[in-house]
Amino acid sequence: MKIIKKTLTFMFILLLLAACSSNTETTGTANNENESEEQTTIEGNLSFYTSQPDEDAQKLVDSFTEKYPDVKIEIFRSGTEEVVSKILAENKAGEVQADVLLVADAVTYENLKNEDLLLSYKSEEANEIPESFVDKDGMYTGTKVMATVLAVNTEKVKELPDSWNVLASEAAKGQAVMPSPLYSGAAAYNLGVFTRNGEFNWDFYEGLKKNEVMITEGNGAVQQAVAAGEKSYGMIVDYLVARAKADGSPIDLIYPKEGVPVITEPIAIMKNTKNEAAAKAFVDFVLSEEGQQLAAEIGYTPIRNGIDAPEGLKTIEEMNVLEADLSELYEARESDKEEFSNLFGDK
Amino acid sequence: MARSAITSGNLFTKYSPSFFKIFVFFLVFLVFFIPIIRLVLLSLSSENGLSLSHYVEVLKNPVTWKTIYNTIIIVTGSTIISVFLGLLTAWIVAYTNVRHKKLLNLFIFLPFVIPSYITTLAWTQFMGVNGPVAKLLNILPGHIQPMNLYSLTGIILVMGISHYPLVYLLSGSVLRKIPRELEMAAKVSGGSKYISLRKITIPLALPGIASGGLLAFLASLDNFGIPAFLGIPANIRVLSTYIYEQIIGFGPSAFAKGAALSVILGIFAIIGTFFQWLLLRRSKQIETSRVDKEPRVILPGRMRLIIETLLWTFLIVTSLVPLLSMASTSLIKAYGLDFNLQNISFKHYEFILFSSSKVQGAIQNSLQLAFIVTLIGLFVGTYIAYIRVRKPSLLNKSIEVMVGLPYALPGTVLALAMIFTWLEPIPGWNPGIYGSIFILYIAYITRFLILQIRGSVTSLLQIDGSMEDAARTSGASPYYKWRKILIPLILPGLLSGAFLVFLTALTELTVSSLLWSSGSETIGLVIFNFEQAGNTTYSTAFSTIIVLLILIGFIIIFLFQKYWERKVLPNDDRN
Repeated sequence: MKIIKKTLTFMFILLLLAACSSNTETTGTANNENESEEQTTIEGNLSFYTSQPDEDAQKLVDSFTEKYPDVKIEIFRSGTEEVVSKILAENKAGEVQADVLLVADAVTYENLKNEDLLLSYKSEEANEIPESFVDKDGMYTGTKVMATVLAVNTEKVKELPDSWNVLASEAAKGQAVMPSPLYSGAAAYNLGVFTRNGEFNWDFYEGLKKNEVMITEGNGAVQQAVAAGEKSYGMIVDYLVARAKADGSPIDLIYPKEGVPVITEPIAIMKNTKNEAAAKAFVDFVLSEEGQQLAAEIGYTPIRNGIDAPEGLKTIEEMNVLEADLSELYEARESDKEEFSNLFGDK
Repeated sequence: MARSAITSGNLFTKYSPSFFKIFVFFLVFLVFFIPIIRLVLLSLSSENGLSLSHYVEVLKNPVTWKTIYNTIIIVTGSTIISVFLGLLTAWIVAYTNVRHKKLLNLFIFLPFVIPSYITTLAWTQFMGVNGPVAKLLNILPGHIQPMNLYSLTGIILVMGISHYPLVYLLSGSVLRKIPRELEMAAKVSGGSKYISLRKITIPLALPGIASGGLLAFLASLDNFGIPAFLGIPANIRVLSTYIYEQIIGFGPSAFAKGAALSVILGIFAIIGTFFQWLLLRRSKQIETSRVDKEPRVILPGRMRLIIETLLWTFLIVTSLVPLLSMASTSLIKAYGLDFNLQNISFKHYEFILFSSSKVQGAIQNSLQLAFIVTLIGLFVGTYIAYIRVRKPSLLNKSIEVMVGLPYALPGTVLALAMIFTWLEPIPGWNPGIYGSIFILYIAYITRFLILQIRGSVTSLLQIDGSMEDAARTSGASPYYKWRKILIPLILPGLLSGAFLVFLTALTELTVSSLLWSSGSETIGLVIFNFEQAGNTTYSTAFSTIIVLLILIGFIIIFLFQKYWERKVLPNDDRN
């Protein structure tokens, strides 16, 4: 018993010590940051929340810190919806911990803008980016172009289709797959855009439902299902397909003639950032020619004018973009999701 | 039992206001109770103070009722399967003379060892249109399709198979301790095998069966991976996925709604625990604590062969085949290509083992997390189990319920409750726990301590209080009593609990996914991230490595147990 007591006392003290030490650590750096802001040198800690795949986020951070070795960046990566939930929970609990945010789509940022969580910053670099992808109040700026395209399994589909309507055709009955808008930010954006375009409307989704489309949690699962031949057709973000195709998977991508919904993975600075200087430098870097070149190397279509898209993908100029009014998308997102959930629900 | 509880209770009150006891109560209150209180308060919050409006809103929605219905069907179905499979396998292994029991043991554990997100992946590949089942059925005449896993039945089956080792583990050790004399007595008095089973074996094994059943029940209630993966395509929601959907998909207003749904889920967990209590209320205590490993049912040669064949077929299909299907995916050059020699490559393993900086860090983090959490669990969990068994006051029982709740909440909800609690435990004071790896330690303890308590309670229930009384009247100090009597007797049971904690902590995903920050990646996260980024070949390769590592760990524990039996319990009967 004594030994147990001792061990536990020891562990308890350890617990307290650890709690205290990490406490002093954070307050210590916070002070440094305040001083550094006055001197406008770029150093200190940055907390970067993102939904990019881990590897890609790491590459971005590595090349930034190569340029600014005094900045230490911590990455939190998860799906867009989880990242946003985490930020909202942090906000509710007292204080948002993120400094810079980079997640799926502009609509998500409209929400955060509305909650007054973002800092306005108009980067010089944003002049080279198409106006429609830059928030007019400077709250957020697109960083790349991701189209949602049609993917096909090349072993099962010999004649490549050119229209979204193939998903509602007899050939695709029980053979199509798409991510759930209730779980995937990109899919939620697509839902908003498709249902607000005359050619598609809700009829498009009703057709999909009739055609027994399979719904998965995320885009990754769509890629798997199509690559494995479990399904022949998929609705999916372009870069995943381009990568899998480059690796040798039997999958191909098509930009349908009606146009493609595009998300831009915007970047924004959180309002209560403790390191504004470094956050701004980071945003500048992501939007700069160098940062955009890096995005292209990793395998994304860059958003900045004049930089080539990686092999297998189209640049923004070559794409036929399906658009919808942003504020309307933002207003309607919850009801869209609810309607989707009712349409596809098993009630 | 009542008498011994009182006497040992007196013993305890002598030491009562001990630092240790206060510490445990403090810990339980702080770590388990506050997050739940925060959650309940959130579910009751509204602009005009406390109100039930969120509950009204949630319960008015027909989707909620459909979801509750699905949850009840799935949880009941899968718990029944788990209890049936777990008890059957435990009985066969403990009582009959089937051969290769240690190997059987290993195979029974595999479905539990492999994290459920990997199991589900493996099962869908196994049953998929290009999987081995479909290929086999193609050869056969007729147009038989492999079973559609994206269905209620599919979810129930995969869950039942994933959780039956919990029942196996907790009831196996109890079965072995049932004195064969009792069963023989029943036989001699003219009772049939069935009567002996019904009157002796089942009642005496009940603590183990009920504990295992409760864990399987709670595990199914909480499980997110299986219903998310199999349920979303089939439009089947259960409470855990529904809560996730609400919280994740519908903005900040949904937190309160999600919290209300979580409280509903918590109520189910309490109902389950209550049901278990009802079952155990009249359970009997066994006077001996001898582990009897001699077979009691000697099957004749042919019968034994039939049972062995059936058992092995079952185990190979449920454990080995999905595992192999996963391993084969990890060896293919690019996902979707056929599995043949030209397409085989080890480049994914090369990447995992040598190129990826995350992987080694994750293995190290997860091992460290699992190890420390297991250690703390062993002490605190066994202590809570001890006071719960020897001094079953209302307070002590409610501690167990409190500790059980976080295990039943969906990981995402627990993680959010953790953020609410630990970002500013006292308004205006951020201790820096949230945002460091420390929050993961706390979260894991919160979530997994119940596994240790269940394991410890089960083995403590087997030891009659008179043993302790004897030690006490002979003048043994509490320390001496633990060291010389209790620990040697309950250690195998403690270790099974510790083992569960270790394994679940090692591959945990849902809680970590909201609480981690860079530098505190865990194994589950890295695998999940590979998966999300579309790198199935990486995720399966890493999973395969993890399963291999776990198997190695298995063998080590195995050898240790053998050593323990040989050196520490020299008088015990062994095979």
